[in-house]
Amino acid sequence: MGRIVFAGAMSHVLDPDYYQRACGALGRRTVEECMREIAGMGERFSATKADALIVVADDHLNAFSFNAVPALCVRIGRHVQRMSQDHAEAFDKVLDHMPERYAVHEGLANAILERGVERGFDLALSWEAPVDHAFLSPVNTMHGTRPIPPLVPIWVNCFVAPQPTARRCFAFGQHIAQVVAEGPWTAGIIATGGLSHFPELSLPRVGETDTVFDRRLIHWMETGEHEPLLGLTGDELHKAGEHEFLNWMVLIGAVTPARADVRYFGELPRINMAAVEWRLA
Amino acid sequence: MSRYAVNSLLYRLKKDPDFRAKFISDAGTALADADLTDAERAAFLARDMRKINELGGYLHLVMSIPGLAAH
Repeated sequence: MGRIVFAGAMSHVLDPDYYQRACGALGRRTVEECMREIAGMGERFSATKADALIVVADDHLNAFSFNAVPALCVRIGRHVQRMSQDHAEAFDKVLDHMPERYAVHEGLANAILERGVERGFDLALSWEAPVDHAFLSPVNTMHGTRPIPPLVPIWVNCFVAPQPTARRCFAFGQHIAQVVAEGPWTAGIIATGGLSHFPELSLPRVGETDTVFDRRLIHWMETGEHEPLLGLTGDELHKAGEHEFLNWMVLIGAVTPARADVRYFGELPRINMAAVEWRLA
Repeated sequence: MSRYAVNSLLYRLKKDPDFRAKFISDAGTALADADLTDAERAAFLARDMRKINELGGYLHLVMSIPGLAAH
């Protein structure tokens, strides 16, 4: 019988040069400290020798154009490519030196997709969508030079309204946990993004964060009080710059009622950096 | 305002280097067939990413188009 052997969530622009440009020396120091904690989380994950790593993240309008924007999408197939961007700028630049191709855990990805549809989740699927920094920055920071196990990339539409609800993301996470438990594989799960940044996705507000909101989320995760999280509205998340917390809601659903330990929380003018790990039984 | 028109244009500017080069050299010609309002067209012609964002352009696009991004 399978089980989830590791669960962690973390910020996903993990690039000291980016934060040096955006926030000066404090930016570099903060992201480097956060990356050290994420690397430590990666060592603990690798020690589990899990068969797969489920990565719940969002698309920054790289994989999915306005042709279609899936609410929840499971990447299937045997391999997934790194997103490519000519003359990459800002958060796209972090991808430049990362490996271009990653194995997908086909059996687990297919099971999450197929049983999800059977159980009422109208999941999108993709054989081709590439993954951007939201997936690969945490995965590569966690693993360094160690081998990366086969991935199960899952996208949540965090940015293009109307997004799935926090409650729906949590329920999807519960589904993932059920599929893992029914199968023969051990799996880690990570959720990426956040914490508070880019409130209302408004350019003039880049540089603002909502630390009070972050502290409230952290309290609920640390104490395992997940019911209040289910009531988070899209409007609240939008105003507080917590769009990517929907990814975390999937993970929380997968491990509920586990409590979280904060490995890192650091405030920057541009974003509050975080790394959180759950205590699994 | 057309969220689709603005964002599909931003997406094309990010992902299509030939179109981006055409836009940079002659924005008026590049946008000739674009289905934009007068305000949207003026914002693109001025390369005013703040205004484009205000008109519905997604933040992650206006921050990451090579050579045109707002930071």
